[in-house]
Amino acid sequence: MKVTLEVKPRRKPYLPIEAEGIMPRTFFEGADGLTVYRGNKELALEEIFSVAIEGEAASVDEVAIEILGDSSRIKRIGEYMDGGRIHIAGDIGMHCGNFMSAGEIVIDGNADAWLGREMRGGAIRCHGNAGDYCGAGYRGEKRGMRGGTVEVLGDAGDFAAETLAGGTVIIHGNAGDLAGVDMKDGVLTIMGETWRACANMSGGTCYVHGTVHDMIPTFRNVGRETVGGEVFTRFAGDIANRGKGTLFIRNYKYMD
Amino acid sequence: MTELLIRNACVIDPINDICGEIMDIAVRDGKIVESVGSGAEVIDANGNLTMPGGVESHTHICGTKVNFGRYMSPEDMRAGRTARRGHMHATSGYSVPTTYGTSYRYSAMGYTTALEGAMAPLEARHTHEEFAYTPLQDMMANTLFDGNWPVMQAIHEGDHKRVAAIVGWTLAAVKGFAIKLTNPGGTEAWGWGKDVSSIRDPVPHFEVTPAEIISAMIEANEMLNLPHSVHLHCNCLGKPGNYETTLETFDLVPNAHDKRQSLYATHVQFHAYGGSSWRDICSRSEEICRSINSKPQIVMDMGQVMFGKTTTMTADGPMEFNLYRLYHNKWSNHDVELETGSGIIPVHYSRKNLVNSIMWAIGLELALLTDNPWQCILATDNPNGAPFVKYPEIIALLMSKRYRNEVFATVHPGTEHNVPLAALDRELTWNDIAIMTRAAPAKALGLVDVGKGHLGEGADADIAIYPIDITTTDPANAPQDVIRAFAQTDYTIKRGRVVCCRGTCTVDGENTTIWVKPQISENHSMEDDPEFNLNFDRYYTVRKRNYPVQEEYLHRNLCIETEAKL
Amino acid sequence: MKHYDVVCPFCGCLCDDLEITVENNRIIGVDNGCTLGNAKFMGKERLSSPIRRNGDGWETISYEEAVGYTVDMLLEADRPLLYGWSGTHGEAQCTGVHMCELVGGIIDSTTSVCHGPSILAIQEVGHPGCTLGRVKNRADVVIYWGCNPLEAHPRHMSRYTTYADGYFLDNAFRERKVIVVDVRKTETARVADEFVRIKPGGDYAVLSALRAIVRGKGDMVPASVAGVSRSQLERMVAMCKDAKFGAVFFGLGLTMTKGKYKNIRNAIELVDELSRHTKFTITPMRGHWNVYGSNEVFTWMTGYPYAIDFCRGIAFYNPGETSAIDILARKECDACLIVGSDPGAHFPRGCAEHLADIPVVVIDPVPTMTTAFANVQIPVAVSGIDAEGTAYRMDGVPIRVKKVIEPTLPSDSEVLGDIFARMKEATGYD
Repeated sequence: MKVTLEVKPRRKPYLPIEAEGIMPRTFFEGADGLTVYRGNKELALEEIFSVAIEGEAASVDEVAIEILGDSSRIKRIGEYMDGGRIHIAGDIGMHCGNFMSAGEIVIDGNADAWLGREMRGGAIRCHGNAGDYCGAGYRGEKRGMRGGTVEVLGDAGDFAAETLAGGTVIIHGNAGDLAGVDMKDGVLTIMGETWRACANMSGGTCYVHGTVHDMIPTFRNVGRETVGGEVFTRFAGDIANRGKGTLFIRNYKYMD
Repeated sequence: MTELLIRNACVIDPINDICGEIMDIAVRDGKIVESVGSGAEVIDANGNLTMPGGVESHTHICGTKVNFGRYMSPEDMRAGRTARRGHMHATSGYSVPTTYGTSYRYSAMGYTTALEGAMAPLEARHTHEEFAYTPLQDMMANTLFDGNWPVMQAIHEGDHKRVAAIVGWTLAAVKGFAIKLTNPGGTEAWGWGKDVSSIRDPVPHFEVTPAEIISAMIEANEMLNLPHSVHLHCNCLGKPGNYETTLETFDLVPNAHDKRQSLYATHVQFHAYGGSSWRDICSRSEEICRSINSKPQIVMDMGQVMFGKTTTMTADGPMEFNLYRLYHNKWSNHDVELETGSGIIPVHYSRKNLVNSIMWAIGLELALLTDNPWQCILATDNPNGAPFVKYPEIIALLMSKRYRNEVFATVHPGTEHNVPLAALDRELTWNDIAIMTRAAPAKALGLVDVGKGHLGEGADADIAIYPIDITTTDPANAPQDVIRAFAQTDYTIKRGRVVCCRGTCTVDGENTTIWVKPQISENHSMEDDPEFNLNFDRYYTVRKRNYPVQEEYLHRNLCIETEAKL
Repeated sequence: MKHYDVVCPFCGCLCDDLEITVENNRIIGVDNGCTLGNAKFMGKERLSSPIRRNGDGWETISYEEAVGYTVDMLLEADRPLLYGWSGTHGEAQCTGVHMCELVGGIIDSTTSVCHGPSILAIQEVGHPGCTLGRVKNRADVVIYWGCNPLEAHPRHMSRYTTYADGYFLDNAFRERKVIVVDVRKTETARVADEFVRIKPGGDYAVLSALRAIVRGKGDMVPASVAGVSRSQLERMVAMCKDAKFGAVFFGLGLTMTKGKYKNIRNAIELVDELSRHTKFTITPMRGHWNVYGSNEVFTWMTGYPYAIDFCRGIAFYNPGETSAIDILARKECDACLIVGSDPGAHFPRGCAEHLADIPVVVIDPVPTMTTAFANVQIPVAVSGIDAEGTAYRMDGVPIRVKKVIEPTLPSDSEVLGDIFARMKEATGYD
């Protein structure tokens, strides 16, 4: 089954649309009467999107959703997704793929904040940049993302992989401030540079192939180690937090 | 004039010795009456179980500490959200719901009166503000005196009349209901990061012991002629081996009142541990209950623990810090100058954990080993042992040996070597449950005379009709039916009108705040006591003039004026 | 006539010992207050009736018309923002929550531009705190971190810390040690026993280093951290561990600099660590007199302290998304009611620009910078001067602010009550 949703122009283009219903299972089970919200107004899906559905699906994994048009203010697409595929041709709004447990989301453009928040499984691949809190957790919750993979081919904002507790986050560009802060488990890989990586980490592993600026002063330098042909400095920490995390860094600079 | 007639009710009303009688209940203008006219609104109870509205004698639902539990827990808030609907406001939260959430959920379970377990006098205004937004229960507040400086100074000087005078002034000033002692002396020691280790361990600087505080306060309570007794959270909560402290405390209690107990010991489950460490902790419920069974002057509540996530919150600051060191989870603490402390941490009681399993068993044992159900009230120290929405499951566990066995089979396998629960065959009756959830708490709080906890003529028309026929239901073999019935009434009636029907609250509601005002002779009044006033303005950061809770905060209220022997 | 023990409605200290002299229903004297509080009592020009924008100017309208405009604006909006609340009393804040819930909007207080990060940190690790009297009577070490009380909370040190008499201190001023941590030498730093000067943006690193030193891992800390020598950090830790009672106060220098709430989390975790050695507490220096009250009210009514989105019926909370500054910057609301605050003066320009594009009603006694963006402004009595109600001090102590003169205008509660009643009528809610 192929579902094509093209975003229509709106009179108030900045007001966000909340569309957590847009995920493969909804269409697999029959999306008649599906609504989305513009602020406090509940609207039929068709008011916001031109909808085309072709073919049948024998399982949720056979549903592919294609999002076209300006979807930069459409929030919560793919929330609780548990199979199938979503392809977003442009940018996507906040909370794409929250709580996702299986399936695949591909974003050709940029993703706004909280991409894959509290993700449990499946894969998200963002070809552009991701906003703040990519692969992060919920306010006050000890454990954030617990499984699956978030891969960002551009840069990520601040607090990427905050409270990471499982799964893999890969940032091919740079990650902003405090990437991997309070992470507990899982693997964070940053190909570019970042700031204050893995502050207060208590577990898990982080690789930074570029430079860590303002390196946190409470990591114990364990020595040089070669991983995958690259030479890293290995740190244990965060000592401020009886941490048992591991941080592999190519270059680092303290704020002294 | 509004009239209501409940027909065909199967009534259990222990205070009036009614047990399962099919009868009609007549209500006029919010009170139970002998009969009503033919124009009365009629509710058909269909022979279902009908009892006085539930009375909660120890819960944490309003005030600074509770609100901080909400404030620090957005993850708990999102675990229980409902939208605005009809007369119901939006609600959030599971273990520490918003005030509306708490009120609606208690109401759906048939509860119409509740005592907030701990109010710091300095922050009383906050508790009263939240009472106004807990519309479907009449509310009252235990007032904390465990670390009160002027009280400890007066005890040290041996001036017990002055103790009573200070307590009386404070209760009336903050519109409190009863004296609460939480880890007496310990919360003051916690001002230095310390605790007291037994009831004979003196409080730093003040040189009084917890035992002296407890005894003096029991004496003061009776001098003030208060409706409730001293309400005590014993020292050493949650520590292996603490049952000895609890027994020693019980031995302090005189039989000082002819109509009710002289001490209400709260959440005794947390105070009934044997052993010397977390490795050899065990149940001492038998020793505790032996003491209770021989001392009619003491009433306790269970402090039952149920498995799952919850939030612990208590004025017992040092205890919460110990829990924090155990769990390494988030920890809040809030000491209150000259008065008390408090702490909050989230916990998850796991059936895979031996200590948690032992705790679960002890609470049930206390209820099953107490001969007289009037002496053991059903409560979880909400939300410390479990959120109150677990009460129906607790009722089913107490009424069904079979259900207990089923759950017992799922807990940590080491539990049975450390607790006597498996050997207890007692199954509580419908009447026992009615006593433990409304009649006994109303009696213990001293509220029977103001019309709570019973359905006699003149009583408040607070009534709960549960969808269960007790003549055809065998609770020992139908625990799920019992749980379903107690989880949601068909009708909860408050002050003579239906406030909740099958889980849907049907009115905005307006509760009554019940508070006490002891009449104290002028020569014992703290109003113009020079020493009291001087120290007040010197050491508090709020002027004495700004300390009392103003009338504006009371809305509808019932003031119980007492004649103090002062 | 003289009013005694009056509560000051200026900052989060809520000093309650002011003496106000009133003649002919006018305040003519203020004693005991600081200059900031005195100025508030002595008052600016107030508006005397509601005004509505009319082309380039303003016209006077009735309360009836102003309330009607507000009701229509809120009910027509898809995503109204109800912002401010720190400058009013709790009873008005309660009505605000009910209004927001009814209309399906977003409610937020000035918290999101001051101590919102403190709340986010508390939600991660909790908050070991106490009332200010606990500090006054006991503290022998006081740390001011990223705050300058002598200028922003002028009586904080004399009422609650350095210069205040304390029960357990014979000579409070001599016995209390004051440590100031800041990026510049402030007035407060000049009176400190120990001044720790940090490079801008270096708070987090310094806090981590302190935690490691408290944990006995000082040897792993580099010789200099963000401009502070390890020896000074070690000296500071020794002072803290030797304290019988230590109290940390922190301000916007910690909440609003790089890392924001993670700075606060680190400070709280330092206090947690110190609590294993001695008594330690931490308290945010809340700015607006009743900003903490807005957090308390919102919490018991909605479950969350600020930034609550009711658009979907249930309460949704996600600061960074549902906080006023983010909503305005992203143009995600289509109407705004502003009560008791002045975002026109404090918000970034992008936010103000959006306010200019949407209908805005301001409820405030005086013309402010925000008036420039308003379509309608409704003047009210000033809470604490001619209106009364509940406020929460920075440490959570609730105090009733009084009125010292008779009002000539309705209070916030009354105006909001009217708006809410009209909204209920219009939506058929009984």
